[in-house]
Amino acid sequence: MITLTLKERTAVPLEAESLSPDVTANLSCDAVRALPVLLGKHPYRVDEFFDVEGEAGDELAIRGDAGNVKWIGRGMTRGKIAVEGNAGMHLGAYMKGGTIEVSANASDWVGAEMSGGSIHIHGNAGGQIGAGYRGSPKGMTGGTVIVDGAAGLEVGMRMRRGIIVVRGPVRDFAGLQMKGGSIFLLGGAELRTGAWMIRGTIVTLKEVPLLPTFAHDYDGNPVFMRLMARHLQALGISIPCEPHEGTYQCHSGDSAVPGRGEILVWRPVG
Amino acid sequence: MGGKVTCTLGEIKNRADFIVYWGGNPAECHPRHFTKYTLTQKGKFVPNGRKDRTMVLVDIRETPSARAADIFLQIKPGKDFEILTTLRALVKGHRVNEASVAETGLSIEQLRDLADRMKQARFGVIFFGMGLSMTRGKHMNSAAVLMLAAELNAFTKFVTMPMRGHGNVTGSDMVMRWSTGYPFGVSLCRGYPRFNPGEFSTVDLLVRGDVDAALVLGADPGATMPQPGIDHLARIPTIVLDPKVTHTSRLARVHITTAATGISAPGTVYRMDEIPLPLRPALVSPYPTDEEVIRRIREAVAKKPAWAQRPAAMAPTN
Repeated sequence: MITLTLKERTAVPLEAESLSPDVTANLSCDAVRALPVLLGKHPYRVDEFFDVEGEAGDELAIRGDAGNVKWIGRGMTRGKIAVEGNAGMHLGAYMKGGTIEVSANASDWVGAEMSGGSIHIHGNAGGQIGAGYRGSPKGMTGGTVIVDGAAGLEVGMRMRRGIIVVRGPVRDFAGLQMKGGSIFLLGGAELRTGAWMIRGTIVTLKEVPLLPTFAHDYDGNPVFMRLMARHLQALGISIPCEPHEGTYQCHSGDSAVPGRGEILVWRPVG
Repeated sequence: MGGKVTCTLGEIKNRADFIVYWGGNPAECHPRHFTKYTLTQKGKFVPNGRKDRTMVLVDIRETPSARAADIFLQIKPGKDFEILTTLRALVKGHRVNEASVAETGLSIEQLRDLADRMKQARFGVIFFGMGLSMTRGKHMNSAAVLMLAAELNAFTKFVTMPMRGHGNVTGSDMVMRWSTGYPFGVSLCRGYPRFNPGEFSTVDLLVRGDVDAALVLGADPGATMPQPGIDHLARIPTIVLDPKVTHTSRLARVHITTAATGISAPGTVYRMDEIPLPLRPALVSPYPTDEEVIRRIREAVAKKPAWAQRPAAMAPTN
């Protein structure tokens, strides 16, 4: 495992897509030190900002406040990145496999356009989790993102497949223009959840204000929720699904598109 | 996504019979708009001028523009996106939840009436102002207007236009568009343009403190940005090019006084419909123009060595 310790937070963001197991797996420690990172428009060596230790392997540990380090784990296909501290924007963007774990907070665009692998943020995340970049037709097409804290705007914007779980509250436009996949909002959401969604499922355990273009569909405990709950149980997330605990109120929309997405709002018994 | 369906103000003058102003107050902010382009002028296909046109104003309060409107729709603050999305559904004949429509400040009948009028228009236009684009929802509120107008083209001709103001902002967008492909929020750090509003837009860069120098040209962010952004501008070396003393120039390290474009310097201004208009100076200024200052800075910078020493041994990029 190679350990990179950030010497100090840089004044302007550092763009470090070379910090990915795919790049470092077959490199010696010295070769990792010489990898390029971009500060502003100029390339520098990794060891000008990080202390690099350890031996080559599929695993990468990043320590220190890397809240200014963008593009960690971009397009990775295997291995593991453990960020002990904050992570900057575009964490795990375009990733295809492997795992990323962040002990503190992450910024915007976590797992943007990812197609596989898993990301677990123990703190808060920013907006546009698993989203599609501006002008891009679709966001994440697979994989899992779990956020233990809160998240920002446009969570899962234009996502196509995959799972996003946010334990804390999320802000406006969760599931904006969603085309598929599932978003679980354990802490509810602010306004305009599911705006312009085409397909896909948003499950919220707290009441959310709905757009006028969503219509009440049914009350019940759909069978797929039981399968989902079992799948999420393995990831350490418990979702209620039994009839004696309560029911899901399903709203379908967004009729402005028109779409066939669904928002399931949990109504506990009593 | 939609994109903007638009036209020139000349076409609106000659053709538009249904005019919506959304979240703007043209009577006070664009006082010649009604009389020169949209309402009172007689046009080729609207020969009777004002009598041939219907004007709708949508706003959160009754502004002086409401007096000029045939229909004034007062909505609750922050409900623009909900109303526009509902209109999109109604235009296509889909059902909406009437109980939550009532929370927007308008009744379902009012929205149905508006949707019907939009579809029956021969040439409709929606002008949207900062009351829409700068309130909660921001870019998505603008996107909602653009999508509504784009989809109305399945029934009739419909266009949109933002009510631009504050000097030559349209010009800045236009030049960025034809030079980089994107209107704003562009980073050229890697030698090619990358577009990501939220990451590279000025306000976000300043609020997060992601820049270590700033050159301000033809703008006064010190008066309009959120406080953390203004604080950052004061912290970093800020250079302002402006003919007059502004909030930004007071907190800048360097203020270069330039000639006022259009008054004492020639130039090109882009009208809100993106038509470039040449400006001839009426007065003579002792100060250099913005263009001349920038050119001289560029020449001086080109003579200097690179500001950061490149590391001697760089690993080959893989």
